[in-house]
Amino acid sequence: MTAAAAVAAAAALVMLAVLIIAWPFVSPEREGPEQRLSDDDRRRLALAEARDAAYASLRDLEHDLRTGKVTEADYQAERDRLRAEAARVLRELDQLR
Amino acid sequence: MTTLGRVALYLVFALTVYAAVAGVLAGRRGDRRLMRSSRNAFIAALGATLVAVVAVEYALVTHDFSLAVVAEHTSRQLPTGYTLSSLWASEAGSLLLWLAVLTGASALALRQNRNRNRELMPWVAAVLGGIAAFFSGLAAFVSSPFAHVAGAVPVDGAGLDPSLQNPYMVAHPPMLYLGYVTMSVPFAFAMAALITGRTDARWLVSVRRWTLVSWAALGTGMLLGAHWAYVEIGWGGYWAWDPVENAALMPWLAATAFLHSVIVQEKKGMLKVWNMVLVSAAFSLAVFGDFLTRSGVVQSVHSFVQSPVGPYLLAFVAAVLAFATALIIWRLPLLRADHRLESVISREATFLFNNLLLLALAFAVLWGVIFPILSEAVRGVRSTVSTPYYDFFLVIFGLPLLALAGIGPLIAWRRASPDSLIRTFRWPVVSALSGAALLWLLGLGSSTAGLTALSLCIFVTVTVGLEFARGTAARRALAGGSVPRALLDLVSRNRRRYGGYVVHLAIVILVVGVTASSAYSTADSAHLAVGQSMHIDGYTLKNAGVFQRPGPNYTFEYVRLAVSRGGTSHGVLEPGQRVYDTGQVGNEVDIRSSLPSGTDLYSILQGVDRDSSGGVSVKVLVNPAVGLVWLAGVVFLLGALITLWPDPREARQLARRYGELLARSGA
Repeated sequence: MTAAAAVAAAAALVMLAVLIIAWPFVSPEREGPEQRLSDDDRRRLALAEARDAAYASLRDLEHDLRTGKVTEADYQAERDRLRAEAARVLRELDQLR
Repeated sequence: MTTLGRVALYLVFALTVYAAVAGVLAGRRGDRRLMRSSRNAFIAALGATLVAVVAVEYALVTHDFSLAVVAEHTSRQLPTGYTLSSLWASEAGSLLLWLAVLTGASALALRQNRNRNRELMPWVAAVLGGIAAFFSGLAAFVSSPFAHVAGAVPVDGAGLDPSLQNPYMVAHPPMLYLGYVTMSVPFAFAMAALITGRTDARWLVSVRRWTLVSWAALGTGMLLGAHWAYVEIGWGGYWAWDPVENAALMPWLAATAFLHSVIVQEKKGMLKVWNMVLVSAAFSLAVFGDFLTRSGVVQSVHSFVQSPVGPYLLAFVAAVLAFATALIIWRLPLLRADHRLESVISREATFLFNNLLLLALAFAVLWGVIFPILSEAVRGVRSTVSTPYYDFFLVIFGLPLLALAGIGPLIAWRRASPDSLIRTFRWPVVSALSGAALLWLLGLGSSTAGLTALSLCIFVTVTVGLEFARGTAARRALAGGSVPRALLDLVSRNRRRYGGYVVHLAIVILVVGVTASSAYSTADSAHLAVGQSMHIDGYTLKNAGVFQRPGPNYTFEYVRLAVSRGGTSHGVLEPGQRVYDTGQVGNEVDIRSSLPSGTDLYSILQGVDRDSSGGVSVKVLVNPAVGLVWLAGVVFLLGALITLWPDPREARQLARRYGELLARSGA
C-alpha cells in the first residue's frame, strides 16, 4: 500500500467513524427523552420481583417435595408461608395500580 | 498498512473516550440520541480495532521486520499458522487482541440491551467506555504494535519462542482473554446499578450469561493451558501453581462464588452487597491477572514478555477498587437484604459457606502470588511460595468446598429439618463411607487428603445422581413419558440447576484425575546405552537408537524407546529436542495414553551423549487417570452450555415482570 493510499484509507476510516457516531443526531428518527423511574415504579418493580421470587420458591418447594428433600409437614408449613407472602405482595401491587 | 493501523488505534482511543463521555451525558440528561451515539461509538471502535488487527497480521505474514512485534516474535521460516498466532506472543499484540475482545463484547452487550435497562445502559456504556479508553490508550501510546525496531531493520526475525509453537497456544491465550475481558460487562452493569440506584435484581439477570461466558472461557482456557504445559513444557505435570496459572484461577474462583450468590439474591433478596463486592473483585482480579502476565514482576513458564504497561495496569486496578468501594459505600442503604438467614442448615447457608471458602481460597492464592513481590519490594530479597503452600490451602478450603457441592443440591431452602436431612443424606453418606473403606482396603490410604477427596467425590456423585434420578421420576409421575424424555424435560425446564449439577460432576472428575495423577504417580530417570532397558511400573523401555528428522523450521533429534509390558509390545515413544533454524531449542515429550484407565506413560529426553554412541538420559513417568483431567474439561463445557442455553420460559417471565409493568419507563 502506497503512502497516499494509506492516508486516504485512514481518512476514510475516520470519516466513517464520525458518520456512525453522528448518525443518531442527523437521522430523521426522533425519540423523546428517557423517562426515569418514579418512586412508585421502583416499588412496583421490587414487588414484581418479590412476587416472582415467591412463585419460584413455591415451584422449588413442589420440586423438593417430589424429590424427597422436604417432609410433608415441612412442605405444608413452608407452602402456607410462601402463599401468604405472595398474597401480601399481590395485594400491595393491586394497591399501586 | 502500518500507517492505517496506527491511525485506527488512535481512532479507537478517541471513540472510546467519546463513548464514555456520551454515556455519562446520556445518563445525566436522559438523552436517547446521545445513548445511541455512545453505542455506535463502540461499533465503530470494534471496526477500527479490527482494522488495526488486520494491519498487524499483514505485517506479520509479509515479514515486515521494521516492526518490533514482527522482528522479535517471528522469522521467515515460521509456519503461517504460528505467524498469524504470534499476534498474541508479544505484549503489544496481545493488548490489541484484548482490545478487540473488549470492544466486541461491549458493542454486543449494548446492542443486546438496546431496548432493555434503559436507565442503566448509558452508565454501562460510560463504564465500558472508560475501561476501553484505558486499554486503547495503552495500545496507542504506551505499547503500540506498530512501534519500529531500534536501529537497522534485520534481514530475519528472532523467531517465536519454541514452547509457543504448539497448537494449544493458538487457542489458549484467546480463550483466557475472552474470560478476562468479558468480566468487564458484569462489572459495568454492577457499577451502573450503583450509580442509578437500580439495585434490584434486573442487573443480575442481564449479566448472568456474560458471567457464565467469562467463567466458562476462563475454566476452558486454564485447562487448555494445563494441557499445553503437560505436552510442551515437559516436567511431567500440568499445574504448578505458577503465578500466571494463578492469575486465571483467582477471577475464576471469584466468578464461581458470584454465580452461586446470584441465585441467593434472585430467590431470597439477600447478599446484595456481597454480589457487588464479588463482581468488583472478579473484574479487578482479571485485570490483576493481566498485570501478572504482562508486567514481568513474576517469573513464570507462561510469561513471555515484559513491558512498560505493568505500572499502568496496577494503577488501573487500584482505581477500579477505589471507584467500586466508594459506590458500594454510597449505596449501602439500598443494598439491605430483604430477608435474613434463618438457619445455618439451609441451602442459602450452604451457598454462603461456599462463597466464603471460594473467596478464602482466592485470597490464599493471591497472597501466594504477591508475597514474593512484596518481599522483594520490602526486603530486597525475592522469596518463593512453592507448591506445599498452595496444596495446604487447597486441602483446607477445597475439601469442604467439594463436600458443599454435594450438600447444597440436597438441602432445602430456608430451613432443613433433621428428618429431611436423615432421609436425604443417608444414601450419599453410606456410599461415601463404604467407598472410603473400600479404597482404604485397596491400599489408597497412604494419603489421608487423597482418600478424603476420593470419598467426597463418591458422596457428590451419589447426590448428583440421586438428583437426576429423583427429578426424572418426579417428572414422569407428573407428565408421563419415557425415562429419556422425562430426563430431557427435567433438564430443559431447569437448565441452570441441572447444568450446574453437570459442572459439579466435572469437578468430581477433575478431583479424581488430579488426586490419582498426583498422589499415585511414579517417576524414574536413567541413562540408557543403545539396547539397554529401564523398568517402571510394569513397563519396559528399551533404547532403540537416536535419530533425526527435519521439520518445517527445525530439525528433530529423538530417541526411539521400544515399550513393552509383560512381553507384549506397546509401540514406541520418541521424546526429543527440536533445534530450530533460529538456533532456539525446544523439548518435545512423547506420551502414550491408555484407555480406558486414562494412564499416561510420559517420556522426556534429558540429554544425548555427544560421543555419537547413541546413549541417552531419559525421565519416564507413569501418571494414572490423568485423562480424567481432560475429560473433566469436556464435561465442564457441556454443563456450562446447558446453563447458558436460552430458556424461552424464563425470557417470557422476565418480559412480563419488567416489560408489562414498566413499559412506559423502559425498565
